[in-house]
Amino acid sequence: MWGKVYTGFGYWDASAWILFFFIAAFFTLWLRSQGRSDYKKGTDQDEIYWSGNEVPEDGEDITVPASSAYWGFRKALEPFYKGLLGMHTGIATDIVGYYVIAVAFLAVFILLV
Amino acid sequence: MMKLEKYLEILPKSLWVTTCNSGSCNGCDIEIVATISPRYDIERLGMKLVGTPRHADVLIVTGPVTKYMTNRLRRIYNQMPDPKAVVAVGNCGASGDVFYKSYNLDGPIDRIIPVDVYVHGCPPRPEAIIEGVAKAVLKLERLREDLKKAGEQQS
Repeated sequence: MWGKVYTGFGYWDASAWILFFFIAAFFTLWLRSQGRSDYKKGTDQDEIYWSGNEVPEDGEDITVPASSAYWGFRKALEPFYKGLLGMHTGIATDIVGYYVIAVAFLAVFILLV
Repeated sequence: MMKLEKYLEILPKSLWVTTCNSGSCNGCDIEIVATISPRYDIERLGMKLVGTPRHADVLIVTGPVTKYMTNRLRRIYNQMPDPKAVVAVGNCGASGDVFYKSYNLDGPIDRIIPVDVYVHGCPPRPEAIIEGVAKAVLKLERLREDLKKAGEQQS
C-alpha cells in the first residue's frame, strides 16, 4: 500500500507526498498566523472588496458574462440556431429518428456514388 | 498590527498605496501612472501600488467626487486597515476646481473622508505626488505610534 509506484517519469511515493503535505500545511499556517489580526470585525474592513460597490447577493447582477463576447456571433447565426432549437425536442425517439434518416441518406449516397 | 511589526522601530514594510478615481478627468491618474513607470519609479523609494484597499496604507484619491462615487469612496476608505492616510491629488480633489459649483458633485474629497495631504496641480507633476506620499509616511508613523500607545494602555 505504501510502496512506490513507478511511472515512465519516475516514481510516486504516497508517504513522501503526505510528509510534504504536512510540511507545506505547517508553513502555510505559520505564514497565515503572521498576518494582521487587528481588522475591526463586523465593519467594512471585514468585507469583501468589490471595487467599492456593495457586495451583491448574486455576482451576475453587476458582472458581464463571458458569453457576451460572442453576442454578435450568436445574433448573426440566430436563424440557424432557431431552426436547430426547433428540431431539438429532447425526445430520444426523435433523435434516433434523425440518426436513422442520416444513416439512410449516407448509405444511399455511398451506394450510388 | 502584524506580529513582526511590534519589534520594528520604523515603518515595517514598504508603503502600499491604492488609488481611487472619484470622477477625475484621468489627467491626475496619468501622472500617478508616470510615478510608477521607469522615469520616476516610486518602487525604488519603497512604495508600491496595490489593487485593493484592504492591503493599502495610503489612499490616493483623484477627482472632485461625483454623486455616483460618494458611497464607493467612503466604502473604499472604510475598508482600509488602520493606520491609514489619504492623499488628495489634483486641484479637483482639493477644492472641486472649475467644477466646484457643479450639480453632480458631493465633493471635494474632504467633505466625504478625512484628507491628510493635499497635492495641488492640474495635474500635479509626479515629483509633487511623490512628495505628497512621503508626507503621508510621516503621518502614518505618528498614527502608528498612537496606536501602539493605545495598545500598551489597554494591556
